Amino acid sequence: MTKETRRWQWISHICLASISIFCIIPFLLLIISSISDEMSILQNGYSFLPESFSRDAYLYLWEQRGQLIRAYGITIFVTVVGTSIGLALTALLAYPLSRKDLPLGKFFTFLVFFTLLFNGGLVPTYYVYTQIFDIKNTIWALIIPVLLVNGFNVLLMRTFFMNTIPDAVLESARIDGAGEFRAFFSIVLPLSLPILATIGLLQTIMYWNDWMNGLIYLTDPSLYSIQNILNRILTDIQFLTSNSDYAAQSGKTISQLPSATIRMAIAVVGILPIIVAYPFFQKYLVKGITIGSVK
Amino acid sequence: MKYFNRLKVLFLATLLLVTACTKNESTTNSSDQSEGSNNGKEETYELVMAFPVFGPVPKDMDKVEAAINKISKEKINATVDLEPISIGAYDQQYNLMLTSNEKLDLLMVSFRTVDGLISKGSLHELDDLLEKYGDGIKQVFEPEYLNAAKHNNKHFIIPNYNEMAESNGLLIPKKYVDDYGIDLSKVTEFKDLEYVFEQIKKNNSDIAPLVPAGVGFSILDHYRWYDSLGDSIGVLPNYDNDLQVVNLYETHEYEEHLNLLRKWYEAGYIMKDAATNQDSQIDLLKSGRGAALISGMKPGIAEDESIKFGMEMVATPLTEAYSTTRNVVGLNWGIPITSENPEKAMQFLDLMFSNEEIARLLHWGIEGEHYVEVSENVIDYPEGVDGSNSGYALNQNWMFGNQFGSGYVWNGTSPKLAQDYKEFNQTAHLSKALGFTFNAEPVRNEYTAVSNVIDQYKLSLETGSVDPDEVLPEFISKLKAAGIDTIIKEKQKQLDEWASHQ
Amino acid sequence: MAETIRKDLEYENDPNLVHNAPTKVRVKKKIRTFKRYIPFFIMLAPGLLYLLINNYLPMFGLVIAFKDFNFVKGILGSEWVGFKNFEFLFKTQDAFIITRNTLLYNGFFIVLNTVSAVGVAILLNEIRKVFFVRLYQSIILIPFLISMVVVSYLVYAGLSVESGILNNTILPLLGLEPISWYMEPKYWPFILPIINLWKSIGFFTIIFFSAILGIDKEYYEAATLDGASKWQQIKKITIPLISPVIIMMTLLSIGRIFYSDFGLFYQVPLNSGMLYDTTNVIDTYVYRGLLQLGDIGMASAAGFYQSIVGFILVLIANLIVRKRSKDNALF
Repeated sequence: MTKETRRWQWISHICLASISIFCIIPFLLLIISSISDEMSILQNGYSFLPESFSRDAYLYLWEQRGQLIRAYGITIFVTVVGTSIGLALTALLAYPLSRKDLPLGKFFTFLVFFTLLFNGGLVPTYYVYTQIFDIKNTIWALIIPVLLVNGFNVLLMRTFFMNTIPDAVLESARIDGAGEFRAFFSIVLPLSLPILATIGLLQTIMYWNDWMNGLIYLTDPSLYSIQNILNRILTDIQFLTSNSDYAAQSGKTISQLPSATIRMAIAVVGILPIIVAYPFFQKYLVKGITIGSVK
Repeated sequence: MKYFNRLKVLFLATLLLVTACTKNESTTNSSDQSEGSNNGKEETYELVMAFPVFGPVPKDMDKVEAAINKISKEKINATVDLEPISIGAYDQQYNLMLTSNEKLDLLMVSFRTVDGLISKGSLHELDDLLEKYGDGIKQVFEPEYLNAAKHNNKHFIIPNYNEMAESNGLLIPKKYVDDYGIDLSKVTEFKDLEYVFEQIKKNNSDIAPLVPAGVGFSILDHYRWYDSLGDSIGVLPNYDNDLQVVNLYETHEYEEHLNLLRKWYEAGYIMKDAATNQDSQIDLLKSGRGAALISGMKPGIAEDESIKFGMEMVATPLTEAYSTTRNVVGLNWGIPITSENPEKAMQFLDLMFSNEEIARLLHWGIEGEHYVEVSENVIDYPEGVDGSNSGYALNQNWMFGNQFGSGYVWNGTSPKLAQDYKEFNQTAHLSKALGFTFNAEPVRNEYTAVSNVIDQYKLSLETGSVDPDEVLPEFISKLKAAGIDTIIKEKQKQLDEWASHQ
Repeated sequence: MAETIRKDLEYENDPNLVHNAPTKVRVKKKIRTFKRYIPFFIMLAPGLLYLLINNYLPMFGLVIAFKDFNFVKGILGSEWVGFKNFEFLFKTQDAFIITRNTLLYNGFFIVLNTVSAVGVAILLNEIRKVFFVRLYQSIILIPFLISMVVVSYLVYAGLSVESGILNNTILPLLGLEPISWYMEPKYWPFILPIINLWKSIGFFTIIFFSAILGIDKEYYEAATLDGASKWQQIKKITIPLISPVIIMMTLLSIGRIFYSDFGLFYQVPLNSGMLYDTTNVIDTYVYRGLLQLGDIGMASAAGFYQSIVGFILVLIANLIVRKRSKDNALF
């Protein structure tokens, strides 16, 4: 290792470590608050070193474990299925668009881009999905609308393809007699693992964190994903605290609204599994693909 | 070239759209026909009934629904499909259902949204149906209240029957009253509260004597001396003022109240971050950070609040009970135009108001399973059941018809609560504008601007957090610039118009 | 070597050249080229079909912005009202403030996020130990996973007057007086970008980092052999090679410059009125204005206005990019 490389190592470590601390401190506060005693927060304020700890918030969630476990199952199913299909469609769409020679290529790219700026709004989307496709109260309602193919991901992947797959590699494949599909599957995809992992991760996070679809298309609680349940609790609080019509009438119910610590625990329960799943994607985010070796 | 491309897209979209619409039309046609051909023997109609729930959907909803259907099928040859929607999603859900023509027969609408729904034509007119099928409903209401729910002299909604009026007062834990020797009989109006706060502060300097009655609410949200005419943009002072609408924020009384609040805030009587606090009033009182709050009053409030706060509470009214349109039409039932059988819907509504069995099921669930009668007309959870594991702990009796239609009260509340409510409603003063509803449609540009200005200033002014001498004039001039006078003028016009029909 | 082959290919496929050929040959050639592309169109089909259904089909709803919506008449049957639904956006004394805030914040976010994330990605790329790369990356991504509502709770835990950590612990340690954060608009032009950066840096870093990973290692090896310093390598290799990704991300952000993160501007400042001068943006203004009215015509109009301005800005930006480098332009 040269002196310069070593110096860069040090600089990088110091910078990244401080940024990591900046990123993780609020998260620590989230975890600590979720295991703090409610009364100590109310009386002494939030703290990294609360006077007393309590499991109450998690006990509250544990009481609803039946529903939560089911919801985790639904979330995992939706995330896996949605990400797989979505990733496949995105890659298939992005690859041809990345070809500079594709007839109408710019037009198709524009079509994709246009969806990022303009949308018909919630009402017509709901109309299309419920009246034409009838997906209300089905598991597909959590997978198909809005999330499956995202214009942003397509354009991002297109740029990645343009950037990392040299035409020469594809041309040599063509000379070898490989069809476009084979070239795509046996050359482009293996070369693009970091890209696929990145987009796959973004899709996974989108599916994992989504509660909009459930909110709009589901009235049957047995299909709720984990975020639907957690968000239902949070949006109920938001709604009741900002809406005097109901607040006046529902005094009794307001008193049962979850307290600060429960809200924090809810957030932790929603985030932890995806953090655990993260290393799976990182396996593919590996350095040092040498495209030269394919040549 | 690009323009051409965009045209193509447009064409494609239209094409798909047209196919979509034709499909929809054909389905509605066919359902019309099927309805027509069934004249001989009537089929049982299934009513879809949407309402909000304030927590998780009760898991025994289906059981309760089945029990209701047994009765309703026999009585009116209709069954009901209960569609509970969690409150955070409710407005959005039913709006989507209405705009996309989903079948919906009974809809619970709140005061805030009811006017928009009516002016956009989404609710059936109910006068004829009420005449024909609504005897049970009419029996429950004092006529003036049912009348007050009219819009443009027609019924579009049936309000639920609960407290039809409101007074304002102070809520305070009994322990402070006793420990600090507070003589509540000395407190009869707003400015007398200073004495209470003084006593509390003197004995306990750590506590904030006054906290807002909820996150996002100001102190004056629960203390009124005027008919807000719906939104407090243009009000009727003293619930009368000869029907002359005035700008509340310019009135002398408003300024006086603000000055008082400011004085209290600076003396430490109001909690420091009252305007942005995120802890509920219950948490604030339980943790001893706050001592009292100003809140709306109704019969049995002290008992209710004692359960809610987990400590014995005392309530002292500061104003007399007045009834305004807003009190009457808080939560209501409407029949959306997407209903295929409004007659049945009305019949079911009537049943909900008048049939004790159905009311019991909707309010409390199934006897023996979700509740048992512990003494005459007083019910409680069966053994081994409580709020957290009951299959039907909805507790929303104020949302299904007559709040006391079941004839039961829950253990811990006064057994003669129903009479108390009746008396409260019958003796309450009526605002001169009771029954008037403002339609903001003609002035909606001004309305959005004014709403923003009010949002900006109200909370900090009405919690004493800012100096009214400085901020109130700024507030008023911004309101003027946003066009509040135009709204007030329009309101006056509509009010005069309304009055001429009374 | 690679360069020359690429040039050759471009030459062969350049449509401008085909134009010069005699008509018959041109048609034949067109058919032949088209045939060659059939597999590509098959690949495109499912994704495009999805976008057609999911995004283009509901676009008939855009007309709501120009209609007086009525439930009885439905979306298409309601009456046209021209630009009436748009009026409320401009007929207000706040029009200037909300437009200024929206543009300034979003513009600043674009610069801040891009610069920091590219920096972090480059630093990550320098780290040799895989374990640390993964560790840093995971930690930096965590805030992105936290929803804005929860972020608002956390910010409140930090800034609340009575129970916030800053006022209770940190400011006294520094010997400073407590500050009413939610009452003082002057702090928020700093607070909001910090929160925004905190929340989204992980997202942007991942994207730029994987762009860097895609760079052919040979470039760096050659550069090292030539005796180029790290700094030169970053300047001459890394940044130019990931610039297409940077440009694309920037173009897309420009398209959404009139939209703002509602949670960040509404929930995080707790809707505190005293802060409106520095926190009110178009989205929050529209939300507050329509909360009572619930007019979907006006809501659609606001969305339409935000989209169209973004659209025009992107077209302009794209044109500029195109002038410099055709490949980097979006279309």
